[in-house]
Amino acid sequence: MAKEVGRISGDSGLSGSVRDFLDYIRDKPRVRLGLVIGPPLVVLIGFFILPLVSIGFLSFSPPQQTNILPGGRFTLQNYVRAFTQTVYLDVLWRTTVITIQTTAIVVAIGYTMAYSIVRFSRRTSLLLLLVILPFWTNYIIRMYAWINILQKGGVLSSIMEIVGIVQGEVGYLYTWQAVLIGFVYVWLPLATLPFYATLANMDEDLIEAAKDLGAGPIKTFLTVTLPRTKGGLIAGTILVAIPTFGSFITPRLLGGTNVIMIGVVIENQFGGAFNWPFGAALSMIVSVLVVALLVGGVRSGGNLYGMGGD
Amino acid sequence: MSILELHDVTKTFGDLVAVEDASFEVSDGEFVSILGPSGSGKSTILRMIAGFETPTSGEIQIEGRNVVGVPPFERDVNMVFQSLALFPHLTVAENIAYGLKNRGVPKGEREDRIERMLEMVRLGGYGDRDPTELSGGEQQRVALARAVVNEPNIVLFDEPLASLDRKLRQHMQVELQRIQTETDITFLYVTHDQEVAMSVSDRMVLLNDGAIEQIGTAEELYKQPKSRFVADFIGDVNTVPGSVVARQNGQAIIELGDSRFPFDAGSIVDSGRDTLDVESVAVCVRPEGVRLSDTRGDSFALPGRVRNRIYRGDQVSYIVETDVGTLLANTTAAGFGVGDEVYTTWDQESTHVFASESEEAIEASGAGVGGA
Repeated sequence: MAKEVGRISGDSGLSGSVRDFLDYIRDKPRVRLGLVIGPPLVVLIGFFILPLVSIGFLSFSPPQQTNILPGGRFTLQNYVRAFTQTVYLDVLWRTTVITIQTTAIVVAIGYTMAYSIVRFSRRTSLLLLLVILPFWTNYIIRMYAWINILQKGGVLSSIMEIVGIVQGEVGYLYTWQAVLIGFVYVWLPLATLPFYATLANMDEDLIEAAKDLGAGPIKTFLTVTLPRTKGGLIAGTILVAIPTFGSFITPRLLGGTNVIMIGVVIENQFGGAFNWPFGAALSMIVSVLVVALLVGGVRSGGNLYGMGGD
Repeated sequence: MSILELHDVTKTFGDLVAVEDASFEVSDGEFVSILGPSGSGKSTILRMIAGFETPTSGEIQIEGRNVVGVPPFERDVNMVFQSLALFPHLTVAENIAYGLKNRGVPKGEREDRIERMLEMVRLGGYGDRDPTELSGGEQQRVALARAVVNEPNIVLFDEPLASLDRKLRQHMQVELQRIQTETDITFLYVTHDQEVAMSVSDRMVLLNDGAIEQIGTAEELYKQPKSRFVADFIGDVNTVPGSVVARQNGQAIIELGDSRFPFDAGSIVDSGRDTLDVESVAVCVRPEGVRLSDTRGDSFALPGRVRNRIYRGDQVSYIVETDVGTLLANTTAAGFGVGDEVYTTWDQESTHVFASESEEAIEASGAGVGGA
């Protein structure tokens, strides 16, 4: 009898010990929870929290310090410099302006596009594929494509010359507009997808109900469609505004020295000027602004997890 | 006075004919049901009246004015949607106010009317709630209030009660009738449920495959069905296949299995064809018209054996196996048992004979035998 029991339950080797382990954690929810969230927690701490903390310490260190470990002399001079020298406040202001402009244009185009895909087309999946298609090409390569288009004697210039709008070669590279075009182009899919998700999730009967109750198309849009898709709108706005604010590749490639954004300045502090503590201070300022934006967005009804679908 | 008139309304979606030559009128203050199986085009008719679909041909008149081409927001009709379509981002009171605001009703009057409406649907004090926190029945009442508060010419219902359980549905039917009587607004109610249609409406429009089969009161449709479809759809019916084997003196001799019965030839319902040519017929009789007997009695009598006996309190249902098919009889005679050899008998008055509309064979079917 005892022999039989042994044969049934006592599988030897690896599978046996795995089963023992599973038996052990069966009624230990805390251990199981730890096993599930442990690994991502380690990654998050190692690659996000620790670098952020170290940047924080660095921002309170005197210039020229490159030791990212805490323990150096404490100083506020980096922050004083950032908030007192008009050049940096200027850059922050211009970064804010271009972020707002980018976000407004992307939201307007993206929402219209998503609305058209949901309401007026049957080829939904094909159109969505076209929307995300640019993502399959590297960001830098897409920026170089725009350089090719916008530069003096580039594609745009040639077309305009052939059509007869301008005479001779013209160039739009290294202008505010070039950076704006680059941003809109890059972020458009990012905003269109959450807009699409919330619009597609919306109960179409609500639109019919509004019309049935005497609301014309514009009133229906303002009183039903817009409030019902507010969550997705805010999610899309956040998804565009945050990376734009911290961006440095697009302004560097398309704006050159004419459009300086805060990301370019920070990159320069670490790369060219070798003033890591000052770059760290600027980074902390940007982080605080971005977190404030995020909190504001979520507070006003945005839902980043659900991409606005509710 | 008729508030709504449909004249030869046809609606096609590509090759599919959803509604074909539908014509009917609804009087002011009437409660009319549009009844039919799913896919019969009843919702399409409703959506054309609301303005969400445009008829391919024909005319729809509301208060004598042709409304084809008029957008929904300019029509004086309101709809209660199957999904109810309450605005989740608005409170109950704001939902009900939506139509009034669009009509430019001033704030004071608006609040009065919402208050009165909430009382009428027995949701007094619910104005500030979110519709999402209400029960299914309460949401139905809000949807009803949102439509009725505008006092439109017609309130359209697209099977809003279908999702409720039976008890709540019956309760809401009574409520619907009460509110219709109180407000005297014309109600047009779409449903696939003949029980609902029979209990709430003054008249019914029965649809089959996009075409109107019959229009009339519940009693007319039940007692004088104009086609086998109507007899089948309204209430339970036993159908026995038969054939006309001879005619003399206005009488047709109908053969059911081995038995022959005379029947008034003029009473054979035939859609379009000359009754004299009719050979293949369907003999229909309601279960309550069938009696069980030890002897051949009435006009029709088929021998058979009792297969099932179901005691239902006020009556007993028997399922009887005969040579030509299974018949259901609902009678008060309780004295028969399973296995008894009996005659199922019924008289001419409770019999409907329909000429076979096509070459397809008529299949015998006992009313509700499957479900009994």
